[in-house]
Amino acid sequence: MSAETLATPDTAPVGHYAYDQVDRAFLHDRVEQFRDQVARRLSGALSEDEFKPLRLMNGLYLQLHAYMLRVAIPYGILDSRQMRELAHIARTYDRDYGHFTTRQNIQFNWIRLEDTPDILARLAAVDMHAIQTSGNCIRNVTCDQFAGAAVDELLDPRVHAEILRQWSTLHPEFSFLPRKFKIAISGSPHDRVAARFHDIGLVAKPGRHGTVFDVFVGGGMGRTPIVGVHLRDNLPEEDLLAYLEAMVRVYNEYGRRDNIYKARIKILVQALGAEAYREKVDAEFAAMDRARYRLPPETVAAIRARFGTPVLDAPSDAADRLAEARRADAAFDRWVRTNTHPHRAAGYISAVISLKPDGGIPGDATSAQLDTIADLAERFSFGEIRISHMQNVVLGHVRQDQLHALWRELGGAGLASANIGLIGDIIACPGLDYCSLANARSIPIAQKLSARFANPALQERIGDLQIKISGCINACGHHHAGHIGILGVDKKGEEFFQLTLGGSAGNDAAIGQILGPALPEDATVDAIAHLVDAYLVHRTEGERFLDTYRRLGAALFKDAVYALA
Amino acid sequence: MDVRNNRRQAGGSSVVTANRLLDGRIVWLAEDGAWSGRIDAARIFSNDGIEAVIDATARRQQADGVVGVYGVQISDDSTTPVPVTVRERIRAFGPTVHPEFATLTEVPSDVR
Repeated sequence: MSAETLATPDTAPVGHYAYDQVDRAFLHDRVEQFRDQVARRLSGALSEDEFKPLRLMNGLYLQLHAYMLRVAIPYGILDSRQMRELAHIARTYDRDYGHFTTRQNIQFNWIRLEDTPDILARLAAVDMHAIQTSGNCIRNVTCDQFAGAAVDELLDPRVHAEILRQWSTLHPEFSFLPRKFKIAISGSPHDRVAARFHDIGLVAKPGRHGTVFDVFVGGGMGRTPIVGVHLRDNLPEEDLLAYLEAMVRVYNEYGRRDNIYKARIKILVQALGAEAYREKVDAEFAAMDRARYRLPPETVAAIRARFGTPVLDAPSDAADRLAEARRADAAFDRWVRTNTHPHRAAGYISAVISLKPDGGIPGDATSAQLDTIADLAERFSFGEIRISHMQNVVLGHVRQDQLHALWRELGGAGLASANIGLIGDIIACPGLDYCSLANARSIPIAQKLSARFANPALQERIGDLQIKISGCINACGHHHAGHIGILGVDKKGEEFFQLTLGGSAGNDAAIGQILGPALPEDATVDAIAHLVDAYLVHRTEGERFLDTYRRLGAALFKDAVYALA
Repeated sequence: MDVRNNRRQAGGSSVVTANRLLDGRIVWLAEDGAWSGRIDAARIFSNDGIEAVIDATARRQQADGVVGVYGVQISDDSTTPVPVTVRERIRAFGPTVHPEFATLTEVPSDVR
């Protein structure tokens, strides 16, 4: 953050922070630094072992088939200009598509090392980068996809997400933590960010004397899934950075570095005990120079001033016109039921663009689709685009009287699947088709399931059912938090899939429990169908799959899967 | 290299693989010591001697423009090399979710 941040830009992008010249100069220097590092790697001046941490600091992995570049989308928000640049990169440097991730980022799977400096330069030209998308640093801060729009929101968390981004980027103490560190922030009492499954989860809300935060710590997935501890309530805004600094300092000091599998903060919090961890944080917090770390309201205001604000002035009959369009078009009505979210402003609504077409690859979008989304965001939602951790896209501020026109345009681009929150809205990591860490393929299972349950009426009948698939125990596909989780495992070089039931990422956060022995790939989709059949038979009126499972327990579902085997 | 990707059985056969430094694409050590984008051009080694081959190849990886050299066990019952694990079959033949990217289709047989 520079002194220039005190000046309000003329055309600040709606929904995210507008860079200033200091930000841009920094990114330019960073790109040139990486260009030199790549040149030294290609010449042999840097070995692969020397180069690897440098490329990872710039989001560049070496995956199964090629290099993969993960581009940061801070708090999941970008604008049309940036989305068009992503489309250009997909078209020019990759294979015409990108993949949106569960951290609201996008990754390209077929990147050439020698092209990467030019790609980063193009990203920098639209105020984007790949920093904090890899390595043992504080990663991209994630946020509610309906932030600043949702009717249930108490406070727009994006300004504080940006403050955390600026605090954490190149933080000298926190660039080499024991392991990666993930923060999520929400301003809604309804957890849509999986706050309890993050290293730190924050829920912002109005307090008696300004913004305050509820703080969760030590949650996470991976090989040791843990629901985070509720560390404290009502952390004052002015202490936000100091307290988080104390939390991460304690982790940095006491977190294990001798064992990669025990290095996350969740292990530390469990090892110390929540109370002992809290005492250490409080002691660190008390010893800090609080004036130095204070987050004054003027700074918050200066950051807020660099966010563009949409002018929400829908005509008074917007809601009536939407109702009329719904009555006239059953398919549109179905899509509105599943793919929209109530907006705080009269006459507006948030629209979710599903990236989960029937039989498709969750989270993938072609360059043409990225361009279409950019165009539609400009026409219908102030040029603002949000990526959800569920691997979908949100247009946050759509006039209700224009929603039908938006839906028709989406349909023409293959982007109008009506399945948000339903069985077709599957999270899946890239899995063994791309990822060098994976044990099994995630995408084909997701494709078969979404094809099996493609019927929109069937999906609506089944109702709220979240399937989440990870190709390995690192759990990038959030399988622990799936109502039905699927984990790919390796058995002597062949793929098997372990089912878990009862997970949830919301306020009722829970870790799914293993149902039974892992299944071969060709039995997994049938097993899911048997689970759904059992649920439909035994549910009570209006009962979600998760609640039926909680009410009846695992035995019924275990029989449904294994009794026939 | 992760042990699970580098496991071999005595008496079996393997090929040697790496990623190309410039673009990360998968390559296989061919009969003439060059690297090929096609597994069907790979030289087949007995597992008895492959560790020495891997060591020697890894020592010249910078000169060869490759990274991450390791060995891949193949099935004994096929005329062309087919890795025994799903992971290595996907590396050899391309992502299963994009048949249009199938390696043996993309890389012509006369192009290394």
